[in-house]
Amino acid sequence: MIQTIRIGTLLRETVASPYRNLVTRPTGAAIRNRIQAAIADSDCHTALLDFSDIELLDLSCADEVVAKLLLDGGERGSRFVVLSGLREDQHEAIEHVLTTHRLVVAAMPGGEHPAPRLLGWVTADARTAFALLCERGAQLAGDLAGALGWPAARADAALEALVLHRVVQTDGDRYQPLSIG
Amino acid sequence: MTRVIEVPATFDDRSFEQFAAAFGQWPPEEKILLDARGAQWGSPFGLLAMLTAGQALAEARRERPLFTVPTNEDVRRYWARAGFFTYAAELFELHGKLPKVTATGPSDVLLDVTPVRATEDVHEVVEKISQGASRILHGELGLEMKATLRFSMALSEACQNIVEHAGTSGWVAVQAYTFRRRLGRRVVVIAVSDAGIGFRRSLESTHAKRFGDRWGDGAALEAALIQGVSRFRDPGRGQGLAFIKRFLDQWKGKISIRSGTARLAIVPPWDEDVPLSEHLPFFPGAQVQIIIPAQDPETR
Repeated sequence: MIQTIRIGTLLRETVASPYRNLVTRPTGAAIRNRIQAAIADSDCHTALLDFSDIELLDLSCADEVVAKLLLDGGERGSRFVVLSGLREDQHEAIEHVLTTHRLVVAAMPGGEHPAPRLLGWVTADARTAFALLCERGAQLAGDLAGALGWPAARADAALEALVLHRVVQTDGDRYQPLSIG
Repeated sequence: MTRVIEVPATFDDRSFEQFAAAFGQWPPEEKILLDARGAQWGSPFGLLAMLTAGQALAEARRERPLFTVPTNEDVRRYWARAGFFTYAAELFELHGKLPKVTATGPSDVLLDVTPVRATEDVHEVVEKISQGASRILHGELGLEMKATLRFSMALSEACQNIVEHAGTSGWVAVQAYTFRRRLGRRVVVIAVSDAGIGFRRSLESTHAKRFGDRWGDGAALEAALIQGVSRFRDPGRGQGLAFIKRFLDQWKGKISIRSGTARLAIVPPWDEDVPLSEHLPFFPGAQVQIIIPAQDPETR
């Protein structure tokens, strides 16, 4: 089950105004607290953070909302986080702050990006493996290694990195991207 | 005794040093008179510098300074429309004829002189600027549409530095004008200034040690602007200036920061500024200027 959290709605409720600009650290921290509360109250395995109502996302808010949410793994429990409705400049802001923290998150297709993509810091192999999973669906590590012409150990390492960053699910054998929508 | 500080006829970031030097020891013991009668033009940086001086004197509990308004009526009206006198009246005893003009902002003033005291003010600044930024940045300067959002982001980060690090309030103003002498093109200028603790004191407890004897205002500016450090140990902090610098590289823009006795600039090819100046006259707080030029028509 997917829990969609509309960031624009949280922003309007938090700052009690019609602003569509997600700026400043205190605002970002307040939004993150609301997201964490919503996730804690839900049984869904994935939280989809929908930014489509947001105009501007500055670096401070990207850091407070996304990076600190991912850093706070304990609060999230076993839940996955995926982003949607991002515009190009928002992609950039999130990519920048996550790279600084060596974190990564999956973003849904949108705008200039027709396929799901990873934002933040991850190895080139992990990025390639993620793209293949998104294109072909669930894969065994051996099948992925074969498709990419990699040794098994290289495919294992890339897939394990994706699992560790919680951008890919596994039942122990097969690896698949987070199923959204 | 009253110390008379003559406001430079053309008051921008270059003539600022003459203005700062005139205060002597900070805070000055004497009563201060800012004499702007001969002023012919003031950039956003110059207008904010005068307000910052007034604020710093008030915070140092010095006698309320005097201010004589420009003799030139056009200059007076322009400063009034940019909102300068609204806040100058709170900090100075004003002398001279003030025009009956409210801060409606001439068409090239993207953001009137605006106080930045708290987080809510940053929201207001970003909201206000988004209404006119696209017209100027895309329409006049030929920047791509998404530059408008990056510009607002840069403005937001620059203003947040006041709220988070200055220890007091500050000011912001944004204006478009033609840079005749240096560039011969239209530019948008963001000026942000505060009368707070400055970069050196803000970073001292966490970064002075690794610089050793080199530590000072110049080293603090280098640490913040070049290395992207912050007084917080959180690696997510200190990224705002680094991000602004990256955007400015792309737009051939310029950022300069003056704090305490030093000034650091990232100098684009069209300018001949000195990257780092040290041992300048002391001036309180921090003053940031960001210049974004019209893009070369051939590369648009």
